[in-house]
Amino acid sequence: MDPMESKGAESQPSTVGPVEVVNSIRERTITENSMVILLQGLQGEVTTVDLRNESTARGRVVNVDAFMNIRLEDVLYRDRRGQLTQLQDLFITGRNIRYVHIPDHMDIMKTIESQLAKIHRVRNFGSEGGGRKEFAKKTK
Amino acid sequence: MVLLKNLQPPTEGVRHEQAETTAVMDGQRLGCGTLYVAETRLSWFDSSGLGFSLEYPSIGLHAISRDVSAYPQEHLYVMVNGKLNKENEAEMAEKAADDDDDDHDGSSDGGDDDEDEGTITEIRFVPSDKAALESMFSAMCECQALHPDPEDDDSDNDFEGEEYDVEEAEAEHGHADIPTFYTCDEGLSALTQEGQATLERLEGMLAQSVAQQYHMAGVRTEETKAEFEDGMEVDTAAMEAGQFEDADVEHW
Repeated sequence: MDPMESKGAESQPSTVGPVEVVNSIRERTITENSMVILLQGLQGEVTTVDLRNESTARGRVVNVDAFMNIRLEDVLYRDRRGQLTQLQDLFITGRNIRYVHIPDHMDIMKTIESQLAKIHRVRNFGSEGGGRKEFAKKTK
Repeated sequence: MVLLKNLQPPTEGVRHEQAETTAVMDGQRLGCGTLYVAETRLSWFDSSGLGFSLEYPSIGLHAISRDVSAYPQEHLYVMVNGKLNKENEAEMAEKAADDDDDDHDGSSDGGDDDEDEGTITEIRFVPSDKAALESMFSAMCECQALHPDPEDDDSDNDFEGEEYDVEEAEAEHGHADIPTFYTCDEGLSALTQEGQATLERLEGMLAQSVAQQYHMAGVRTEETKAEFEDGMEVDTAAMEAGQFEDADVEHW
């Protein structure tokens, strides 16, 4: 699985500045406190997404962001009438999603736990020095 | 006949510009022009300056289609919720009614789902340069991510909790100045006289041994807790047990 850092980079605007930081923090907060974190653990898996307009898309999960926007690759897209189309890359807006199928072989709890661990690692990495501080000199 | 408006191309925040791009809307070829993928909206203009723009919240999905059996040319497919021009709603609705459509007057979920489950607009942007499709797609992904759904009320997204504040403090590159953290005073007041004496003795021992980076396993002091400035809002019970104090590094 890709580390959180690259996932974050993919969904962030290329401009650097305070907006980017806020989005990243806000997205981590949202992710950590919602089931989106499970969907982010689907990266690399092939699954089916049911859209609200009755169409479905089956492909490999490239990325899921905090707003549940999902990017799939090598997709078989079936529209409402049942017509099949192959799509190389597909980006589905979160608002348009009804269901995301979780592959049977996936351990849901384990996935959530490992995703949370990644977030915590990112958070600690971001602070000065990183990691725990009990062996550092007391500055206070 | 789709009504094209005389709009200005965006000047700011243009993530991608693709000239020589044909636009096809619901099967109707609109001509050749330039596609602008800007942060505020997606727009397309032909050589005479007529075009249309799309707001990102209205875009349901977009994709790269290289399946020539489905459509003869490789293109960027964009599905828009609802219909583009009010003036043409009647015409478009007629077309939609011909197809095998679900009822889009009354939906199961609520009023605002009429757009989603009923009418959509399919737009294909066919660039002459097929290699540009990936950049066009990525630029749209980035811009779409800038417009999260404001109606999403599934979760309380605007977190005002402690955790949010901690992260803000970190972003400002200061040591997390957390006023809500447990202080020594709170803990001390709960100790009996004996307890306080024990605490002082232990603290003395700790002070001696810090230089050698030696922590006794199982020792719990208020002081140790206050040293944790990395802002992890962890279960403090785990910290107090001091199980990991002889570990050098935390391995995730």
